[in-house]
Amino acid sequence: MSPSSRPTALALLISLAVTGSLCLWAVVAAPDSVRTTLAWGAGAAAVLLSAAVAAAVHARATANRLRARLAAETQRFTGEISRLVSASAAEGQRFTAETARIKAAAEAETARIASQAAADAERLTADVERLGARAARSDTERSAAVAACANAAGRMQALATSMLADLRDMEHRHAAEDVLGDLLHLDHRTAQAGRLADSIAVLTGARSGRRWAKPIVMESILRGAMGRISGYQRVRLHSTSDVAVAGHAAEGVMHALAELLDNAANFSPPTAEVHVYVEEVPAGIVLTVEDSGLVMSDVQLRRAERAVSATNQDLTGLSGTRLGLAVVGRLARKHGLNVSFRPSARGGTGALMMLPQELLTRTPVPVRASAPQPASESRPEPEPTHETAATTAAEAVPAFSDSPASETTGNLPRFGESGLPKRPRGRTLAAAEARTNTNGATETPRPRTADPKEQAARFSSFRQAVRANSPHPEEGNTR
Amino acid sequence: MTRRRPGRDDAPDRLYTLTGGRSRSGSDAFDLVTLVVSECEPAPGMQSEHVTILRMCTRPTAVVEIAASLGLPVSIVRIMLSDLLDTGRISARHPRTARVADRLPDPDILEQVLVGLRNL
Repeated sequence: MSPSSRPTALALLISLAVTGSLCLWAVVAAPDSVRTTLAWGAGAAAVLLSAAVAAAVHARATANRLRARLAAETQRFTGEISRLVSASAAEGQRFTAETARIKAAAEAETARIASQAAADAERLTADVERLGARAARSDTERSAAVAACANAAGRMQALATSMLADLRDMEHRHAAEDVLGDLLHLDHRTAQAGRLADSIAVLTGARSGRRWAKPIVMESILRGAMGRISGYQRVRLHSTSDVAVAGHAAEGVMHALAELLDNAANFSPPTAEVHVYVEEVPAGIVLTVEDSGLVMSDVQLRRAERAVSATNQDLTGLSGTRLGLAVVGRLARKHGLNVSFRPSARGGTGALMMLPQELLTRTPVPVRASAPQPASESRPEPEPTHETAATTAAEAVPAFSDSPASETTGNLPRFGESGLPKRPRGRTLAAAEARTNTNGATETPRPRTADPKEQAARFSSFRQAVRANSPHPEEGNTR
Repeated sequence: MTRRRPGRDDAPDRLYTLTGGRSRSGSDAFDLVTLVVSECEPAPGMQSEHVTILRMCTRPTAVVEIAASLGLPVSIVRIMLSDLLDTGRISARHPRTARVADRLPDPDILEQVLVGLRNL
């Protein structure tokens, strides 16, 4: 029996005892007639009362027990809450402290990094300044060196040009074959030195060497290029073209072609020939240099194409020994040439250089080396310039020799078309006559007249031509 | 020979390229007055000096004259002429006596020349 039910049982016993004794008394005291009835009634009432008392006692005991438990629970709960509150407070305090510590550490780190960054920035600034100064100095040095090279190259060019002219004069003066042979040898060496000077001038961006005052025919271009390389005797020219290259571009074209020829000659066996073909195409002229030497691989071909391409113009890729293709590239860009390489049908490499139409002239070019035109062909009016007058006369020489004047050969002096003995000034005479007599008409070589009067009249124009008021004063005074 | 201005070249091709580097002809068939006659027409693709020589020499022409017309030294011209001779494109012969007295200019032209020269 649980302790909570003990008072209930006690109350039940007490009430049963009280009511039982009361019932017993009532039954004894009552008359016999109602004794049985009263016993039953009083017994029932006593049982009911006892049960009620027991229930009441039980209910009270239970209420008391629950109240006590409630109080205990409440107390425990309050304790728990206060414990939690205090714990959270401690936690919060700890958290605040931690935060403060971390914040302090972060600030210290930030400060350290900031100072380090400042130091770094200072150092880098100093570095930048130092490097900038060095770069500026290098740039100055570089441009000074390039300028010095350009200047020296220009002077070497001038020297080579004048030496070549001197040599040509000497070659005309010395008829002895030994002397001539030596002079030609020197001439060849000087031409090669001149090409080297030209190359340096091109690479350093100096003014290009020579400017020819007149268009240069293709044959002279080819021979001029060929004469500048060491192995010129191995070069075979195949040209029937009478196209001329404009004077301003002639030197560049010759130089570029000379470099291509030099490459071809250097990279083929010493006995192999190098062939140059000239082909006229609608866009201009294609010069093909073919050797039978080493076949360039695809990589080499691409490298060569890149070296001569118009986009790659800096000197960084320049090696000390291979100037040629870089020079060709510079010249190609300057004059609008188009250079490409391909394997050659001869087994070696073919270099193609296309000259655009703008560089070419197709008018009959009055130079000595050009094929002489038929004597009856009309000739352009000589312009009153130094160059043209000289070259017109130079060209006129072979033309006159086709005229009947060539009957008077042998040991007689030659006659010009005026019937006068030919001498240097006859050139001016030719120019003057072309201007005064034919007056723009076609200048055909006239048959020599036998009329002394007419010849004398022509002679007067000769005199006019060499007077100081003539349009060619410099021509008249040169000698 | 054409006159050149001192210190200037007017032609880019050097003399050694005309002869392939030779400076002696190796034959003495030509002296200054040897007369040269061309035996064929110039063919396309020939060196322009050869073409000029062949055109000039349709009538007999002296070596020195050819040299003067081409503006080249006689030695160089001799080399080219011997090339042409070797290939049979020209023939050469020495001039006979000068039968040219009748072709001298008239005396009055010479007189006019004299007067003109004095007036210069």
